[in-house]
Amino acid sequence: MRLMVLLKLAMRSVGRNVRRSILTSLAMVLGLALLVFSRSLAEGAYDEMIDSGVRMGSGHIAIQNPEYLASRKLEYRLEEKLVNLASEMTQDVLKESLVTWVPRLSVDGLASSTAAAVPVRIEGVDPDRERTFSNIESHLKDGRYLETGDRLHAYIGTELAQRLDVQVGSRFVLTAQTATGDVEGQLVRVAGIFQTGIPEVNQSLIHIPINTAREWLHTPGAASTLAFLLKGAELTNIGVETLQLKLENERKIRVLGWQESSPELAAAIRLDSTGNYIFHSILLAIIALAILNAVMISVLGRRREFGVLQAMGLTGVETGFVVFLEGLFLTFISGVAGISAGLLFTWGLFRDGLDFSIFMEDGMEFGGQIMEPIIIPRFSVEQILISTLVILSIGTISSLYPALRASKLDVAEAMKFEQ
Amino acid sequence: MKTAVRTTNLWKIYPQEPDPVEAVRDISIKIETGDFVAMAGPSGSGKTTMLNMIGGLTRPSQGQISIGDQEITEMTDKDLAQLRLEHIGFVFQSYNLLPVLTALENAEFTLLLSGIPKDERRKRVLELFNKIGLSGLEDRKPGKLSGGQQQRVAVARAVVANPALILADEPTANLDSKASADLLDVMERLNQDHGTTFLFSTHDPRVMERSRRLITLVDGQIESDKRQNHLSVSS
Repeated sequence: MRLMVLLKLAMRSVGRNVRRSILTSLAMVLGLALLVFSRSLAEGAYDEMIDSGVRMGSGHIAIQNPEYLASRKLEYRLEEKLVNLASEMTQDVLKESLVTWVPRLSVDGLASSTAAAVPVRIEGVDPDRERTFSNIESHLKDGRYLETGDRLHAYIGTELAQRLDVQVGSRFVLTAQTATGDVEGQLVRVAGIFQTGIPEVNQSLIHIPINTAREWLHTPGAASTLAFLLKGAELTNIGVETLQLKLENERKIRVLGWQESSPELAAAIRLDSTGNYIFHSILLAIIALAILNAVMISVLGRRREFGVLQAMGLTGVETGFVVFLEGLFLTFISGVAGISAGLLFTWGLFRDGLDFSIFMEDGMEFGGQIMEPIIIPRFSVEQILISTLVILSIGTISSLYPALRASKLDVAEAMKFEQ
Repeated sequence: MKTAVRTTNLWKIYPQEPDPVEAVRDISIKIETGDFVAMAGPSGSGKTTMLNMIGGLTRPSQGQISIGDQEITEMTDKDLAQLRLEHIGFVFQSYNLLPVLTALENAEFTLLLSGIPKDERRKRVLELFNKIGLSGLEDRKPGKLSGGQQQRVAVARAVVANPALILADEPTANLDSKASADLLDVMERLNQDHGTTFLFSTHDPRVMERSRRLITLVDGQIESDKRQNHLSVSS
C-alpha cells in the first residue's frame, strides 16, 4: 500500500514539472540515440568487415592441411581424395547454413614480363564458384573476370599490370615451385585487371583457373583451402565445432573459423570494438552525470516538500525511495525515448547504408581485408537489450546519491528552505 | 485532565561559531488534552524550535518530551515518523501542500499512509471539506487555490486522521484578516468537536486573543504563561 503511494508521488513528480523533465531527458535521449546509432553502425561495419574479409579470405569456415596456415606452402595441400571427402561432408553438415563454397589452390611465385619480375600470390580458382563467393569481380577496371573454359587466363591488379607493363590481352609468365620440387613456368594472358583499395592486393594477387594451376603445379584435384561461406558469421562457431567432431579422425584436415584463418581481421575488429566500448563508456558516463545532475537539482529544489513528507509521517528511507523512483522513472522514460529515437533516426536515414565511397572509391582496407565503402547499420536485439540494462543500471546508481541526500534531510532545516 | 504534551527542562543548543545559539533554554510546560494554546514571542524567541521538538522533527539537546504517555526523546527516526503519522498533525506557515497532489489527495495523504481504504478516506475528507468550506475544490491542485483555501486544505490534512495534537506554526502569517478569522473558526470548531489539542506558534494578535492559554517566549525562555477567557467560534 505504502509502496503504491511512493510510486504515485514519484510518477506525479516527474510529470509535474514537464519542462524540467524534458530538459533532463533531452541529454539522456540524445546520448542514447547517439549510442544506438553508433552501435548499429559499428555492428553493420563489423558485418561488412567480416563479410568482405571472409569472401576475400578463406570464408567463414576453411578446411586446410593443419600445417598450411603457418607455412602457406604447396606441400601442405589437401589431395584430391581429401578434397572430395571434406567438401562432401561439409556440405552435408552445413546444409541450410551454407551459401556457397570454393576450392582454392594457392602458391607463392614470380610474375615476369619483359619489363619486370614481381613476387606474387597465385590463386587457382573455380571461376563460376568464385564469382558467387568473393567480391573481387566487383573491383574490375578493365577486361573481364575469369570464365569457365578459360585456361591460360589471369586476373591481375592494376599495380601489378603497371609494373609488368601489361594490358588486357598481354602475356606474361608465372613461375613457382611445383609439387615435384622443380621450378616451372606457366604462360598466361591478362583477361582482366582489378583495382581494390589495398595496394598490396593490387600488386600481388593473381587469379588463374584452378585446373590450369593443378596441371602446372602437378597437383591433380588438390586444393590449399576449401572455403565455405555461411548465411551469417554467427553460424561459424557451431559449424566449426560440428565439423571438427565429424572430421576428428582425419589427421591431415584442419577446420578453422574465420577468426583463425583471418587473425588480422579478428584482431582489428577486437581493437575497433574496444575503442567503441571506450567511446560508449564516455557517452554513458555523460548520461549518468545528466541523471545525477537532474535528480540532484530536483532534490535540492524540493527540500521543503521532502520535509513536509516526513512531517506527515514518511520515514527518511521512504522519502529517499521516492527520489530514487523519480530517477528511475526519468531514466526509463528517457531510455525508451532515446533508444526509439536512435532506432528511428538510424533506420529512417540510413537503412540503405552509409556511403563512404566519396572518401574511398575503391573500398576501404580493414584488418588486411577489403571492405565495401557502403555500411548498412544493423540493429542487434542483444545490443539494444544490453544498452537498456546498462542505462537502467546507470539510472539506478545515479539516483542513489540524491536519494541518500533526501533520506538524510534535516526536516526542521528543510522546512525553513524557501521554495 | 489528561496531558497531551509535557516538556521537562528542554534545551536546544545549535552549535555555531563563535558562540553556540541557545534557541530553547530549560523550558518545562504541560499542555492538557483538548487545549487551544498559543506560543507567542518575537522572532528568534524559540517558538518554532519548540514546535519542531514537540513534533519530533528535531531532537532536543537536553530534557524530555512526552506526547500523551509516550516519551519521544529516545525514539528512533522510524518510530518518530510513525508517531507523527498516528498522533500529530502539522499546519505550516507556507501551507506546504504537496504540489503534485490535488486538494483532496493532499487532505487524505496521512490516511493513505495509514492504510485506510479509499472509500473511507474519501468519505472522511469530503465530510471535512464540507465542514470547513472546501466543497467543490477537491480536484484542484494547490496552485489553483487561494492562500486561505490552501491553508484550510493544510488544516484538513492535519486533522483528518483525528490526531491527538495539532502543531501549527504561524498558520495565519500569510493570510488576510478575513481568511485568518475563517481559519481560526475552523480550528476552534475542530478543537471543540473532536477535542483535538492545538498548539500554535504565532505573532498574530488575533490568534493570541482566541487561544485559551497564551505562553510568551523571549530568548528561548518562558516569559509568561496565562490562561485567557475563551471566545466562542464566530458564526
